[in-house]
Amino acid sequence: MNPGIDLQHTFVSTLTDLGLPLGLAKLLWIPLPMALMLIAATVSIFVSVWLERKISAAAQQRIGPEYVGPLGVLQAAADGVKLIFKEDITPAKADPWLFTLGPAIVVIPVFLSFLIVPFGQNMVITDIGIGIFLWISLSSITPIGLLMAGYSSNNKYSLLGGLRAAAQSISYEIPLALAVLAVVMMTNSLSTIDIVGQQSGYGILGWNIWRQPVGFLIFWIAALAECERLPFDLPEAEEELVAGYQTEYTGMKFGLFYVGSYVNLVLSALIVAILYLGGWSLPVPIESIAGWLGVSETTPWLQVVAAGLGIVMTLIKAYLLVFIAILLRWTVPRVRIDQLLDLGWKFLLPVSLVNLLATAALKLTLPFAFGG
Amino acid sequence: MPNFFKQVADYAKETRQAAKFIGQGLSVTFDHMKRRPVTVQYPYEKLVPSERYRGRIHFEFDKCISCEVCVRVCPINLPVVDWEFDKESKKKKLSHYSIDFGVCIFCGNCVEYCPTNCLSMTEEYELASYDRHDLNYDSVALGRLPYKVTDDPMVTPLRELAYLPKGVMNPHGLPAGSRRAGQRPEEIRAEMEAESAATKSTDSEEEAQ
Repeated sequence: MNPGIDLQHTFVSTLTDLGLPLGLAKLLWIPLPMALMLIAATVSIFVSVWLERKISAAAQQRIGPEYVGPLGVLQAAADGVKLIFKEDITPAKADPWLFTLGPAIVVIPVFLSFLIVPFGQNMVITDIGIGIFLWISLSSITPIGLLMAGYSSNNKYSLLGGLRAAAQSISYEIPLALAVLAVVMMTNSLSTIDIVGQQSGYGILGWNIWRQPVGFLIFWIAALAECERLPFDLPEAEEELVAGYQTEYTGMKFGLFYVGSYVNLVLSALIVAILYLGGWSLPVPIESIAGWLGVSETTPWLQVVAAGLGIVMTLIKAYLLVFIAILLRWTVPRVRIDQLLDLGWKFLLPVSLVNLLATAALKLTLPFAFGG
Repeated sequence: MPNFFKQVADYAKETRQAAKFIGQGLSVTFDHMKRRPVTVQYPYEKLVPSERYRGRIHFEFDKCISCEVCVRVCPINLPVVDWEFDKESKKKKLSHYSIDFGVCIFCGNCVEYCPTNCLSMTEEYELASYDRHDLNYDSVALGRLPYKVTDDPMVTPLRELAYLPKGVMNPHGLPAGSRRAGQRPEEIRAEMEAESAATKSTDSEEEAQ
């Protein structure tokens, strides 16, 4: 397969040509994609908050934010500025250390997971071998932060919310991991690049969603539960628990939870796009388009266009999923805690196990279609 | 064993049904996204209150005879009527009158029973204040007339649902002079008067015979 543009290689070779040692050139490269990804993740908060508010408004026949910036796009920025300037209160009887650490531990793994999100063949911070497994393990750190926040607030609602968040994350982690395992089994690799590479080549027909429809649904449901999106937002169910583990938080500490939840939603949507919707690949493979146009795949302008299209495709797929999540928010009522655990343990877990077994069987019987 | 398979089949059926219902729900929410917003952008747009709107109470000081009927019919005896008996004219002389709108429930009993019609309901509903004591209106505050929504150059007045033409749900962009659904009150009255006049004339004819 054509590797596409490799910015890292170009950057490093340019610097070594200028006389810099190889190690220094690589060291100079490292912060660039990291900073870019951090900025992208931060901007994604604004986009998803704006989408959330506008789509929610449309679903309820309202207008939504309108006056802060054109069509209210800067509403999230205004809210963020307000949160920054708010007084940072730690309740008198709270545990100050855990209370401060909680939000940080919730947010850091989410941002760290962007390490393995690819937007193109070489457009990823690092293509590590354990790829998707890193995301699963990082996402299981989050409930520790939630428990910390809930416990240290010294408030019954916070404690209940934190406990619920932990129970929910632990129960949905398993179906999530099993759904990912089926995909990994078909790819023979944990690397996100390989997972997308395995799906490209046949355009939309090659995407994993056709081979793993059950896995896709399980993954999406479990991802929504991990993000605490509305059908599963019991940890902060405002009618019962005020705001769950966020009850005692104000200012930027609350802002961190807010940021974390939206980045987590975007991240989950990106991961679904990568695992099941073919990542950066187009519905029609770029190679065949190039063939029809009679352009060589290695033409520089085509490679730039392909890279741009790849980023756009990944984002389109991810935001389509965000849109579905927002629509689901206004469609499905919140489940009860026992229904939540029933769904996780009695339905998703067995179904995902069967799905894994079926994938294994199909892999043995139809190795050409299921990655033998 | 067949029992087990039946259970699995039932479970699968229920799952399919649940998925179907969620799909139906999603289509409903998706359909709602196409509809135009019906919200009133409040400080810039305001609804015209209906004729029988029970807003802040208006009081005409000079009409009041200090009978205290308003106090008696009030569920919590809210109006404060401060009067003194004037021996020369042998009449009650009103010195102060006040109603606390922080406590009033706008039931309109006082307006209903006032023998001299010195109390009336206005269409004013913007009573918010920073201090609850500001809501205790004295006779001067009670005598002020509210500003009409239709006269306010800053505000786009919008009609309420019952005042829109038949089939119209959205008050925005209504053509000028469009009529509400059904008969207007004055038309109903004119019709009733015409009817009663007709029956009267037939009655008198019968009497004449």
